[in-house]
Amino acid sequence: MTNHWIDLKNADAFLIMGSNAAEHHPISFKWVLNAKERGAVVIHVDPKFSRTSARSNFHVPLRSGTDIAFLGGMIKYILDNEKYFKDYVVAYTNASFLVNKDFGFQDGLFTGFDPQTRSYDKKTWSFQLDDNGVPKRDESLQDPNCVFQLLKKHYARYTPDKVSTITGVSEENLLKVWEAYSATGTGTKAGTVMYALGWTQHSVGVQNIRSACMIQLLLGNIGIPGGGVNALRGEPNVQGSTDHALLYHILPGYMATPTAAWQTLADYQKANTPVSKDPKSANWWQNKPKYMVSLLKAWFGDKATADNDFCYGLLPKLEAGVDYSYMYLFDRMYHDQVRGGFIFGLNPMNTLANTHKARAAMDHLDWVVTSELHHTETTDNWRRPGVDPKTVKTEYFLLPSAHRIEKEGTISNSGRWTLWHHKAIEPAGEAKNFGFMLIGLANKLRAKYLQEGGALPEAVTWQDWPQHYDAEEWCKRINGFFLADTKVGDKTYKKGQLVPSFAALKDDGTTSSLNWLYTGSFTEEEGNKTKRRDPKQTPMQEKIGLFPNWSWCWPVNRRIIYNRASVDPTGKPWNPDKPLIAWENGKWVGDVPDGPWPPLANEGGKYPFIMHTHGFSQLFGPGRVDGPFPEHYEPVETPVTSHPFSSQLSNPMYKFVSGDLDKLAKPGDPAYPIVLTTYSLTEHWCGGGETRNVPCLLEAEPQLYVEMSEELAREKGIKNGDGVIVESIRGKVEAIAMVTVRIRPFAVQGKTVHLVGMPFCFGWTTPKCGDSTNRLTPSVADPNTTIYELKACLVDVKKTDQLTEIAR
Amino acid sequence: MAKTFLIDTSRCTACRGCQIACKEWNELPANDTRQWGSHQNPPDLNAYNYKLVRFNERRDGDTVRWNFFPDQCRHCIDPPCKHEADAYVEGAVIQDPETGAVLFTEKTRQLSEEACEAVREACPYNIPRRHPVTGALVKCTMCHERITRGMLPACVKACPTGAMNFGEREEMLALAEKRLAAVKAEFPNAMLADPDSVSVIYLLTDDPFNYHQNAVAGVTRDLDRQQFLARLTAPLRRSARAAMQG
Amino acid sequence: MEVNRRQFIKVTGAGVACLSLTQLGVDLTPVQAYTSSLKIEGAKEVFSICPFCSVSCHIISHVKDGKLVSTEGDPDYPINEGALCAKGASMLSMTRNEHRLTKPLYRAPGSTQWEEKSWQWTLDQIADRVKKVRDKDLILKNDKGQAVNRLESMFFIGTSHADNEECAIAHQLARSLGIVHLDHQART
Repeated sequence: MTNHWIDLKNADAFLIMGSNAAEHHPISFKWVLNAKERGAVVIHVDPKFSRTSARSNFHVPLRSGTDIAFLGGMIKYILDNEKYFKDYVVAYTNASFLVNKDFGFQDGLFTGFDPQTRSYDKKTWSFQLDDNGVPKRDESLQDPNCVFQLLKKHYARYTPDKVSTITGVSEENLLKVWEAYSATGTGTKAGTVMYALGWTQHSVGVQNIRSACMIQLLLGNIGIPGGGVNALRGEPNVQGSTDHALLYHILPGYMATPTAAWQTLADYQKANTPVSKDPKSANWWQNKPKYMVSLLKAWFGDKATADNDFCYGLLPKLEAGVDYSYMYLFDRMYHDQVRGGFIFGLNPMNTLANTHKARAAMDHLDWVVTSELHHTETTDNWRRPGVDPKTVKTEYFLLPSAHRIEKEGTISNSGRWTLWHHKAIEPAGEAKNFGFMLIGLANKLRAKYLQEGGALPEAVTWQDWPQHYDAEEWCKRINGFFLADTKVGDKTYKKGQLVPSFAALKDDGTTSSLNWLYTGSFTEEEGNKTKRRDPKQTPMQEKIGLFPNWSWCWPVNRRIIYNRASVDPTGKPWNPDKPLIAWENGKWVGDVPDGPWPPLANEGGKYPFIMHTHGFSQLFGPGRVDGPFPEHYEPVETPVTSHPFSSQLSNPMYKFVSGDLDKLAKPGDPAYPIVLTTYSLTEHWCGGGETRNVPCLLEAEPQLYVEMSEELAREKGIKNGDGVIVESIRGKVEAIAMVTVRIRPFAVQGKTVHLVGMPFCFGWTTPKCGDSTNRLTPSVADPNTTIYELKACLVDVKKTDQLTEIAR
Repeated sequence: MAKTFLIDTSRCTACRGCQIACKEWNELPANDTRQWGSHQNPPDLNAYNYKLVRFNERRDGDTVRWNFFPDQCRHCIDPPCKHEADAYVEGAVIQDPETGAVLFTEKTRQLSEEACEAVREACPYNIPRRHPVTGALVKCTMCHERITRGMLPACVKACPTGAMNFGEREEMLALAEKRLAAVKAEFPNAMLADPDSVSVIYLLTDDPFNYHQNAVAGVTRDLDRQQFLARLTAPLRRSARAAMQG
Repeated sequence: MEVNRRQFIKVTGAGVACLSLTQLGVDLTPVQAYTSSLKIEGAKEVFSICPFCSVSCHIISHVKDGKLVSTEGDPDYPINEGALCAKGASMLSMTRNEHRLTKPLYRAPGSTQWEEKSWQWTLDQIADRVKKVRDKDLILKNDKGQAVNRLESMFFIGTSHADNEECAIAHQLARSLGIVHLDHQART
């Protein structure tokens, strides 16, 4: 989240889209309803009428996978009707930037596309620079090559009638949402976007979110209380686990993983450290070398020296262009290219797309180590239905893990608050926390390599591992230490003392930090700030519920990021009723500002979007692989064979794997005419491996169901509560029919398109509750993130009297 | 110092925090349920669920109305269940004059199956359930051991949205009127369910029967709704006498 | 802070009223007998956090003699203010349920059952497997002769259930081994 949970109460309008917040983040609705009571309008745009819709001012059903058409139409509406907040757009976004004259867009493709490699050469997606290397701007927004004009041109096609015919939303409903939401583009109103996996799990997932960012920037809704683009995030510590980079492509703190092309630390730093020639641009990432060297020092300790490139050479290097994410991992596993590995606190046999293949792929491993609270479809894959365990050669290790209540440490919530949780009781039986397991293993491996030698032993033996796991010690390591006596301002820190802020990190090996974003969370002066429970606020902070003394949040306890955009260039809040920061008597008050510099108009002032090289937020976003502007493309499996925006049916760059188990239904496939969307529900979490083992939760949601409209049920002769088979080209799944008025057919291009929805939390280890819905979903993914398209694929449904997976 | 709940259904998101919190506080075992074409599960109140969120949906023109009804004992001001039970076993059902809580005691085990059925039928909201193992009659206790120690009932404590409220009767009645006036702007037919007769007042934005057949006092074996209400709105005389005699 | 959390106590004034009714001759014995004890009385209160959706609702665990007796929302935490949803409200059952794994388990190739093992044995065996694969498959140079030091045939996936400290360790351990197939729930 750019903002935080309590801040939802400051919104005047909510666009809840790609999220079912009331069901999946129920406590968020405390704050949504708080705002609604004060007159905020709550809009839910979603294929299904859910518990969120029930408490919204209105719900607008949308065919799954057509969000960009809907949002692109809103962009056009905002531009045509001049609903944008012009001062903000001119001063803080790249609307005024002049784009390369050779940039263009034709029939669904941007310039530079190579159909052979299915990729773009992004040469023309660049800005015109002046002699100093600073982007040229036209603040009148009239230049035909300026971003603003290109934006207008791009979305001119997104007329209400075309958007309606593709999304299935009536023109009346489109205009109702567009008008209500864009009313926040005044500078004194705030609109917030709440999204979750309903946006990310598409072959255009990143561009869904880009569309929302652009709307928020046009309306001046980024960096302000009650605004933002708020990823609600789906899992317990997914903010923290992302920050600490349990992901192949990044190192902790959002730094790129080294690739083969960057052989030395100097290569890495040069390729990854952006340069701005504009004195008004803070270009914060220019500090990256300090964070990288501090990370290497935290990993390798005294072994890391300037002479040996701080052990950079020991790090694994990715092959540029090769994707090492789940989808490809399980494909390689299926093709015998993987021998073994670890699956901790994750149930991929239920949650990945096309789980038939994932389940089969695991049988190709020599060994696997899993760690869980309970048996799950993953830990026990060797004895899954239909498979003779005697034929499964894989060794399985299953490590019993501690529940959060049974251990101490920190997590980071979606609002980036880093919070300490205390240990209440001992773990069940011999269960242990992950820290015990990982440190135990690390020490055993180090001992083995010291004793026996082996391949590149230094990479293992030079790691600075402690003997035992202690959460608080790791909090300190994450924060970072001074490794030499150091003066910061007028204060001298001794070697071994904690670094007070990431501004004090160095690239010369005299500081360490496992994650620069967290530097400042544990200091000599204030101790472990994640334990703070102080509700104290200034009256200004109290007005917007900022709670700066409760725990700590990254970066530097800044509660709302990009907050310099909440004030005009002189430092005066756009909205005087809800100030977030303000420049008063030569200093900032309120939230911790995005950098200490004075307001933009003052001498030494900086542009507010400090993480962008040029300091401006990006209406034109050349960083994405599939286009600088979002464009509507159909889901890979789509019920239509064409759409009105271009002849490019699907995302030209969507990712996929192919093989005997990776079939795809063709567009408009008559055998699979129904759109399937999948989701979670309040009572279960994710793949259900935990919550199905909690009796009171299983009681409330006991078995797999498929929600469908009364119209579809009539067509198929299905009654509420009947057993049904849902079938895609990849497999069949049994479910109980939930026939409901909450789902209705869509009118798409003159024909009726039905949609059904299913949760994915049920699995065979819980007897007779049904099994993985993801046996139906396809292995295709967004080209930027490789997140699967789990929210839209094609199926058929039929009634059955022969249920084997579900008890009646 | 009678206590009252206000259950404002216009704020309920059916997160079922209340349903589970009740179960957890009372450490009630789970039922072996089935998906039966509804999110409402278990399908009905039972010996292991004193609180149940009921789901009721319908299409209303072009919009959908999905009503959530966190059902529980209303703790009637003059409880018919007590009158009925008194006829069989004195002290099986008692009413705390302090809080107004209607409490089913261990003595309900002495009630025959038929007597339990009679007590259940006397209830205008169809709340009491007989425990299949112990034979005791069970239902919501108003978290009596919590509220007498200054704590909120478990369900109210868990509620995130202000749907569940609990406090002094006058305070809750005032809150009910205030909330009712506010929701009437959007729902002109909004109403309070039997506010004069019960300690658990529901604010409904739709016809009561679009929530649940027993959302308001229903037909019982001996009394129709009007008769029942007439009986409930009588002064507190009977219950006061009952307490004195107790 | 303690005062804040206790503010809701004002909802009742039972003690005083009791006295007056008793003086009036009302026999409260059956009612008092009904609720003679409160299971969390005298329990230690420990602050924890719901392990699900990342709203981070705070939970108070009531612990007696090292055993969890009850959990409920932390009314002082400014985000959930004591409230919990169905999942958050189920922490007692979640921690106690009979399905919990309590011992390291091992399934040998082709076996039809789990065997209970010690932690020592289990970690030794795993370290052995890891080292064998790494020593065999670590790629020191790619086709172009560039140093890459990566291990493609072993993976680490998970978990957003881990604490930040545990994630930091998992990342460090994975990279130290050369693992590049590193992923978790953030990508689903």
